[in-house]
Amino acid sequence: MAKTVKTTATDGTPVEFIDEMIGSGGMKDVYFSPDKSYVVAFFRDKQDFNAKDRLQNITGVYRDRIFNQQGGDYWQDLYCWPTKIVEYNGKLGIVCPTYQKHFFFSKGSINNDFLGIKGKEKEGKWFASAKNQNKFLAPEEKGDWFKYFQICIRISRAVKRLHAAGLAHSDLSYKNVLIDPVSGRAAIIDIDGLVVPGKYPPDVLGTPDFIAPEVIETKHLKITDPGRKVPSIATDRHALAVMIYMYLLYRHPLRGGKVNDLDCTRDEELSMGSKSLYIEHPSDITNRVKINQLNPSQLPQGDPTKTPYTVCGPYLKTLFDKAFIDGLHNPSLRPTANEWEDALLKTVDLMQPCQNQACWHKWFIFDNTKQPKCPFCGTAYTGQLPVLNLYSSRKAGTFTPDNYRLMVYNNQYLYQWHVNRNISPNERLTEEQKKPVGYFAFHNNKWLLINQRLNDLEDKSEGVKIPVNKAVELTEGKQILLSKEEGGRLIIVQLVQG
Amino acid sequence: MRRLPVYILIQTSGAMHGEPIESIKVGLESMVASLRQDPFALESVHISLITFNRVTEQILPLTELESMQLPEITLPESGGTHLGEALKFICQRYDLDIQQTTTERKGDWMPLLFIMTNGKPSDNQLYMQMIPEIKKRHFGSIIACAAGAKADTAKLKELTNNVVSLDTTDSATFRQFFKWVSASVSMGNRSIGSAAEMQLPPPPPEIHTVI
Repeated sequence: MAKTVKTTATDGTPVEFIDEMIGSGGMKDVYFSPDKSYVVAFFRDKQDFNAKDRLQNITGVYRDRIFNQQGGDYWQDLYCWPTKIVEYNGKLGIVCPTYQKHFFFSKGSINNDFLGIKGKEKEGKWFASAKNQNKFLAPEEKGDWFKYFQICIRISRAVKRLHAAGLAHSDLSYKNVLIDPVSGRAAIIDIDGLVVPGKYPPDVLGTPDFIAPEVIETKHLKITDPGRKVPSIATDRHALAVMIYMYLLYRHPLRGGKVNDLDCTRDEELSMGSKSLYIEHPSDITNRVKINQLNPSQLPQGDPTKTPYTVCGPYLKTLFDKAFIDGLHNPSLRPTANEWEDALLKTVDLMQPCQNQACWHKWFIFDNTKQPKCPFCGTAYTGQLPVLNLYSSRKAGTFTPDNYRLMVYNNQYLYQWHVNRNISPNERLTEEQKKPVGYFAFHNNKWLLINQRLNDLEDKSEGVKIPVNKAVELTEGKQILLSKEEGGRLIIVQLVQG
Repeated sequence: MRRLPVYILIQTSGAMHGEPIESIKVGLESMVASLRQDPFALESVHISLITFNRVTEQILPLTELESMQLPEITLPESGGTHLGEALKFICQRYDLDIQQTTTERKGDWMPLLFIMTNGKPSDNQLYMQMIPEIKKRHFGSIIACAAGAKADTAKLKELTNNVVSLDTTDSATFRQFFKWVSASVSMGNRSIGSAAEMQLPPPPPEIHTVI
C-alpha cells in the first residue's frame, strides 16, 4: 500500500496524494488524491520563473476571471482547470479536478473490449478517426451525429470563453479535449499551457493535424525572429475548425492525395504548412482525396464525394470555407469560436432524425430540397416535413427574415431562443429560459405546435389567439406569431412533401 | 493513410536463454497491449518481428496492430550472433515492404528499427558492410538495445547514436524498455515542442543511454 503524502499548496491549503503514479503525460507524472476527487500532476523537468508565474496566473487571476463570475459554475463541466500549485521534493505540481465519470469508457471496444480500453479516458482521437469508429469502438460508445454537434458546440463555447478572457489554449487538439458521444459532453484539459499573447511565450507548437500552417512554415526561424509565428488565438481558431471538421466528418480537411515532396517528413511539413490546401476546395482540385489509396477501414467517411462537407448544412459550409479557403493562409479571416458556436446552434435546428432505424448517424441536416434524404444511408424522408422560417421585427409592423430555419420533427421542443431574436442558447440562459415553451407533434396525420408557456401565441393567418395547452396546426404558408415582445418572432410554415 | 512500420529485431541465441527471453516475451506482450490502447497507434502502426541467431527468421511479417498475434519465440540450443546477416535481411524487407512516396502517392512514414542484442556480432565483416546499407535506407530511428551485463555497446554505436544498455535482463527491466519503445512509437502524434524537435521520449531511469 503506497503511502499518502500530505503537503501544502502555495495558497496555504492542504493537498494530499497517494504516492503511486497513476499515469504520465508528455511533461507530467500524475497522482490521485486519497478520495480521488482531484489529481496532483508534477512536472518532471524543473520549471523556470516564467512557467511558475504562468501557473500562478492560471490557478489565480485567470481562473477567477472565468469561474468566479456570475454563471461561472457553468464552466466547471467544460474545463479541467488547475486549481492550485504545489511544490514537493523540489518538483512543481498542479492540482486539477479529476475528470468526470462520463469521460471514461464504460464499454470500450467491440468483441468484449478486445483492445482493453474500458476505464480509459475518452481521448477525442478515438472518435475523430473513421478507422477507430468503424473497426474498434463498441456501438454503445459511439453516440449519434446529434451528439457530435453538441460536443462541437461545447468545445466552441469553451474556446470562445478563453479567447474572451484574452487567453489562447495554444495546443488545442483531440488529445487535449475529452469527449463523451454518449451524452454529447466535452471538456478541455491540459490548460496549464495557456498562452497570454505578449506575456508568456508558448512552450509547444501544438499537436500534428492541428498546428496552423503559419506556425509550421516558420518553425525553422529563431523564436526571437519577428517572422516566427507561435501559437495564439488565431492558431487556436485553425485548430478549432479542424477539430469540428473531424468530429463531424471523420477525416482531416487538409489530408488529401497531393504529394508535395518525395521525402515524407518534408511532405508532411509542406502539406500541413505552406502548401496546405483544402481537400474540398471548389476550384483547386489538386489535393482531392484519392479514394483508391485509402485503407478500406477509412470508408465511407474518408470519401468526400460520398459525404461532402456540405452535408453539415449551409451555416457550417460558410465557416468551413472561411477557415480552410479564405483563412487557411490568412489567419485574420478565420472564423471565431463565437461564430462556430452560433453556426452550430443554428445548424442543430436544421436537423432531422433519419427514418432508417439502422442508420449509424441517426440524424441528418435538411438539404433544402423538395425530396430530402439522409446523405449517410440514403434513406429518403417520407411524409410531410414542416420547415419553419423565422422572421423578426426590427420596426413595428414589418418582419424581416432572420436567415434562421427550424426543422420540425415529432416530439421536438420549441424554446425561448426560437421565440425571441435577442435570446441565444448559451451559458447566459437563466433556468427559466432553458425550459421549453411548446412542442411539436405529428398527431392524427396533422403537424401541431402545442403551446405550453407562450402568452402571445397567435395564428396570424386566421387571426386567432392560441392559449396555453392548445394547439395550432402547421399548414403550408401559415403565419404564426410567437411573441409580441421586442425581438419576438413570426414563423412562416413551409411543408415539404417527402 | 501513411503507415508507421516498426521492425523489432531480437537476438535468440547465447545469453538469451531462460529469463531474458521470457522477459522479452512479456515485454512484447505488454507493448502490444499498450499500443492497442493508443488511438493514434491503431491508425498507423504496423509491426514486424524478426529473430536472429545463426539464421534470421521473420516470425511476424509487417502486421497491423489490431490483427497482431504474437508468435512463439523459439531458441536454438546454440548459435552465433549473426547481426550482419540480420541487417541484410532487414534491408531486403525494407525494400519489399516500405511503400515509397511517389509523385502520385504518399508512402509510409520512415520506419523504426529496434534491435535487441548482446552487441557482439559474430559475422563482423558482414555487419560492417551492412551499416552503410542500412544508412542508405531511411529509418526514422534506429534504437539498439544492448542487453545483459556483458553486452557490448561499441559495435552498436557504429550503427546508431541511440544505444541503450540494459544491465539486467529481468522482466522489470524489459517491461520498462518496451514501455519506452511503445512511447517512442506513439511519439509521432504527441505535441511538438517549440524548441528542438524531440524524436524520442526520455528513456526510463533504469536504462542507460549511451552518448
